[in-house]
Amino acid sequence: MISQTIFQQPGHKWLAFGQDPNKPEKLIDTNQIVIIGGESAIILDPGGIEIFPPMLAALTDEIPIENVKHLFMSHQDPDIGSSLPLWRQVCNENVEIHLSWLWTTFVAHFDAEANIQPIPDEGGTIQLPGVSLQLIPAHYMHSSGNFSVYDPEAKILWTGDIGAAMLPHRHRDSFFVEDFNSHIQYMEGFHRRWLGSIRARDAWIASVSKLDIDIITPQHGLFFRGEDVKRFLDWLSRLNIGSGLDSMGGGNNND
Amino acid sequence: MSTELSAAETDTAVEAASPAKTGLSTSSTQDRTPLGRIQSDTNQLFSKCLYAFHSFGNLGELSENMRILSLNAELAAGRAGEKGNAVRALTQYTRELVARLNGVNLSMLTLKSETYNQSASALRTLHQLRLLNRALDELNVRKGEFATVAVDKTTRSRADKLSSLLDDVQGMTRNVNKLSAEANGVSEVVSQAGSIATNIAIEASAAGDHEAEFDQVATTMRGYVAQLHNMVDMAGSPIRDAGSVGTNLQERTRQNIRS
Repeated sequence: MISQTIFQQPGHKWLAFGQDPNKPEKLIDTNQIVIIGGESAIILDPGGIEIFPPMLAALTDEIPIENVKHLFMSHQDPDIGSSLPLWRQVCNENVEIHLSWLWTTFVAHFDAEANIQPIPDEGGTIQLPGVSLQLIPAHYMHSSGNFSVYDPEAKILWTGDIGAAMLPHRHRDSFFVEDFNSHIQYMEGFHRRWLGSIRARDAWIASVSKLDIDIITPQHGLFFRGEDVKRFLDWLSRLNIGSGLDSMGGGNNND
Repeated sequence: MSTELSAAETDTAVEAASPAKTGLSTSSTQDRTPLGRIQSDTNQLFSKCLYAFHSFGNLGELSENMRILSLNAELAAGRAGEKGNAVRALTQYTRELVARLNGVNLSMLTLKSETYNQSASALRTLHQLRLLNRALDELNVRKGEFATVAVDKTTRSRADKLSSLLDDVQGMTRNVNKLSAEANGVSEVVSQAGSIATNIAIEASAAGDHEAEFDQVATTMRGYVAQLHNMVDMAGSPIRDAGSVGTNLQERTRQNIRS
């Protein structure tokens, strides 16, 4: 698994992990983010149980495991946090897990003993020494209890599945989108099918458009930076979503 | 009278629980690593237990049929007057056997539930053990700057998981022994119910007008005895195999802990 620093200033760092060349092809590729604030760290969407071994090994290149004080799950999917019981084995026993209140009893099926801090629908903040992370509601994008994470100092937005792309192997040589237009083909099918609510999509875009964002980091595929941030939000705002309705007689996706 | 349990129904239930149908591997040829062998043995132990439990799957229904038979026999005995006295006494014994079968059935349901839970827990732990082993391999290959504490914690976690696995395996093996004891209990019921059926048949021959009625009771009872016998026979081999697999599995798990 490779890692890359995507933001750094004294006492504050964003690290991206992913694109493991040894990952079995049948597992969807995921990005994991580690944010360091002082001597503490949080892992955003720590990943599925199968990627725990390489992720742990790659993480210990960068920080001591005992510094991980928080695990954040943007939503309940297995590729987001089925590794939870194993992380709890190696992290401090008081590691806090942050997850939408909607999913706490569901995720307990991964790990019934996890110390889950339920996030209310309105969101909240997670504090690391010198770093304040805002939890931005992203409900129905795609999960019904879903959050993005914004770091106003780093100007980076973690979006979970929003912005996800299913990349062929040959395109996994960088964490960043280099040509937005040619990247669309890898995002379009995912967003058309995974997102179903136009109201939710518009509300989320309206919400994050107020933020000062340099980089958007989704959980799958590549990150958007600079002008590509606006390009992505504009593209998403125009996308015809809810393609699953086609198999239900068309439906009427006005919501 | 309730319908009798047919041999075909019993066969179907047992076939459904057979290793081929459950998809559980009984072979250890796929993965020869220590954990692979433990997983294979765990699958095999669970499969054998499942097969044995399914052998007794209709015990509750059979017990209820015997209870109804005893009630009908008591009514027939009442109609026969003095000629039915011995049959009436035999129906009392039959109801005692029914109570015993009900106890066995309840115990088996508890054992089955425990075994399912232990098996699920063992397989979940095995999956986590594989990943912890892989994590240790990756940590040792990568030798990250901060790997020492992670290696210690992963090693400790691995030891805890192995210990938990051994608990589950021991629990499953204990339950196999308990299942064996319960199956012996059913064997005793088979023997006693067989005697009751014989005695009712003898009473029938001296019951005059009620001979046919008592004969019918004896014949039905013999049918139930045959079904009980069949259950015990079918469960015998998987229980013996499970005991053997369980013993090996415990030893294999202990070896893994020692290593």
